[in-house]
Amino acid sequence: MNDQSLKILKFAGLTVTVVGLLLFLLSPLIGEPISGNLAWFIEPIAYIGAVVFMLGSLVVIVSFQVIERRTKVVSGGRTWSQVTQDYFDTFAHDMGRPLRRILGKQREARAVLNETGEVSQHMVTELLDEIENQAPNFRLMIENVRVLVDLEDINAAPAVEPVDPAALVRNVSDRYTPIARERGLELVWWCEPSEFGLIYGDGSALDHMITNLVDNAAKFASGHVEIRLTKTASTFIVTVWDDGAGLVESHVPHIFDRGWTPELSARAEKQSSGLGLFIASSLAERCGGQLLVESQLSNDSSSGEHFTTFTLSLPLDNRTVAK
Amino acid sequence: MTSKRSGGGQKILVVDDEHMSDLMRSVLRRLETDGFKPIVVTPEGPHITGDDYEAQTLFAMETERPAAILLDVRFGEYDLDRFKGLSILKKIIDKDGSMPVLMFTQYSQGPYRDTAVNASLSVSGSVDFIDKLASPEEVVLRLRRLIGNAPETIKIGSLFELDADNAAVYVIENGRRELIREIQGMKLEILNELASAMYRSEGELVPFSRLERFSDGEDSRASLRVRIRELKVSLGRAVARDFGPNELIINVRNRGYRLVSPPDQQ
Repeated sequence: MNDQSLKILKFAGLTVTVVGLLLFLLSPLIGEPISGNLAWFIEPIAYIGAVVFMLGSLVVIVSFQVIERRTKVVSGGRTWSQVTQDYFDTFAHDMGRPLRRILGKQREARAVLNETGEVSQHMVTELLDEIENQAPNFRLMIENVRVLVDLEDINAAPAVEPVDPAALVRNVSDRYTPIARERGLELVWWCEPSEFGLIYGDGSALDHMITNLVDNAAKFASGHVEIRLTKTASTFIVTVWDDGAGLVESHVPHIFDRGWTPELSARAEKQSSGLGLFIASSLAERCGGQLLVESQLSNDSSSGEHFTTFTLSLPLDNRTVAK
Repeated sequence: MTSKRSGGGQKILVVDDEHMSDLMRSVLRRLETDGFKPIVVTPEGPHITGDDYEAQTLFAMETERPAAILLDVRFGEYDLDRFKGLSILKKIIDKDGSMPVLMFTQYSQGPYRDTAVNASLSVSGSVDFIDKLASPEEVVLRLRRLIGNAPETIKIGSLFELDADNAAVYVIENGRRELIREIQGMKLEILNELASAMYRSEGELVPFSRLERFSDGEDSRASLRVRIRELKVSLGRAVARDFGPNELIINVRNRGYRLVSPPDQQ
């Protein structure tokens, strides 16, 4: 049912309600009593008026509820339908990107096959590598969809469970080591102290934050990505460092904005969804911590060194924060 | 890779109704090349349900004595079997509380994982989760860590073998092991630390702070540098090679050292 017909239904219901009420109230004047001895309120017209009134009210209530649900504000002044639309737009585009890359290589190989009757081994390997490389992108995107929907619920509390952050970092490193190698990068991680121990927090969220940070670093690094896990008396800190070109100062305030990518300011085609860092920083806040960025461009330093560091700090024990 | 045969013939019980899928076949193949012996649970009958997998798994635990179990959370499309893997997990742990179990979930996170994790927290075994899109390498690394006990010997590429229990490093030539006598004491400790990190995770760096206890003198960093150089020379001499700065033991941006497998041929 569209919004227009809902409005018509609402006004029709209101009219019927008013007519019913009028019939009921005016029944002593316009009706004919069944018998002269009976009081006005048992006249048939009063009953008919009451029933019409109730029916009208019912239609009004139902149409109001439907309209209210449709325009319910989810968060940040956006309606549910806007949020849903946003997701479809974002993911139709983002899910398509890995697929486009795979299809591009596949079609190129097929064209060569049709033309010459055979495909070089190099081409096949390229296609296979592309498919393998895009798998982590799909994995991350599936998770990003889920987390984004979760983040819309402003009342949701993070889980609190015993988590081994060193094991999580190691798992993320395992996942990204082959990708880094393929891109000619060296990815290393370490933790201090070496027996890091457990923290109480949201393991799923932590895994997702680290994954997004490492994914981002592996996109921009020139040769090295480092993940370091350390702790203070009350927090643990995950530092993700890469030796990429660094962030232009004017980009820094936007880096955690939803949907922002560096290509946006250059009006070039977006190479990523611009959701990873937004998600990581939103999750960090939800878990009672914060995500900060520090960056240096080569012309900013005398040594010519350039880097970007993301520092994620979270409480060692989130049991009290969650309460 | 640390070693082509790190599994040492350990049996891995594979419980997944989609064990014939290409994705699972690649995992099985990888387990084999890594020296594990995968044993796939295949119940027989016209209408196989999650219950059949459960019975067969518990039976195979007794007959095959596996070192670990790879278990899918979901069996088939029946709603009843949606989390059948979790009830199988409970039965496994009831039977043998120390059995390492690596569970395949559709996604590594989300409510599906949460249900699985919550269920696993109620059992006291060593249980880990990995999503089905993970590469076979990831599965093997995770299994290795779950089984835990480091192997008696760690191979460093195909050239060297470290035997931590007997405090010895060997060079491997034509399948024969030859002791490298000059690597012992602190140098051996350093190599052991580096090799253990590499075995746990390819990207793990050993920071200076963890290695400096194996050095002495006022400038422990310099002393460590000398020991590492000597270690590299000794290993190189054993195979008549000269390992460069980016080979075998690498200083990563002055943060620590990392062991990488040397290529077979120079």
